[in-house]
Amino acid sequence: MEERRFARRTRLESLFEFVDAFVVRHGIHTDAAFDLRLALEELFTNSVKYHPESREDILVRLEKDGPWVRMTLQDFDVHDWDVTLAPPPDVDAPIQTRVPGGLGIHLVRHVTDSFEYRHRDRSSTIVVTKRVEP
Amino acid sequence: MFTIRVVDGVARLTGRLDADEAPQALTTLQSLPGPLTLDCSDLEYISSAGLGAVVQTYKRLNAAGQELRIVNLRPNVRNVFTYAGLIRLLQIE
Repeated sequence: MEERRFARRTRLESLFEFVDAFVVRHGIHTDAAFDLRLALEELFTNSVKYHPESREDILVRLEKDGPWVRMTLQDFDVHDWDVTLAPPPDVDAPIQTRVPGGLGIHLVRHVTDSFEYRHRDRSSTIVVTKRVEP
Repeated sequence: MFTIRVVDGVARLTGRLDADEAPQALTTLQSLPGPLTLDCSDLEYISSAGLGAVVQTYKRLNAAGQELRIVNLRPNVRNVFTYAGLIRLLQIE
């Protein structure tokens, strides 16, 4: 298990380096690594965007559990906002009528196998899992 | 790291088009005249923020009656376009 705290204004490059080191250490396939990076970027940027009230770092934890990777983001001093309930975007809508919003979480759902949220004592925890081996 | 190199109506995208890079990418893409081709041979990664820059560029060119072509998507990047429902809406080759 590996974890690190990231400042809310951190460059995404730091997040990617954290994931890259993890996937190399565990020999995770490049396709799964791509999906883990994507899920982490979308969840991290979403937390920063929708929790402007917090000044706390965000804790990111990566764990390999058999064929699975479990990714946890814990955000502190934040209100309760269940990201798993975000309405899906209309991906069948014509481009000219599309408005920004909701696509990132939609992508997270596509590249992960489970997606959970809980909130307690002004701390939100998002856990996604991805199967990275047959 | 992300760069855009433009030669004769072809913008070659290189690196990772993420939320940090998307604002500058959008500024560059919005300054380019149509018709425009995005060569994604060396585009290693794209997120929803990067897709937003591409969609905004498409909207601008389409409104002006100009074409936007997207070519040479790598499989993982193509998947992201597919999940977003853009594969069948954009001119992707």
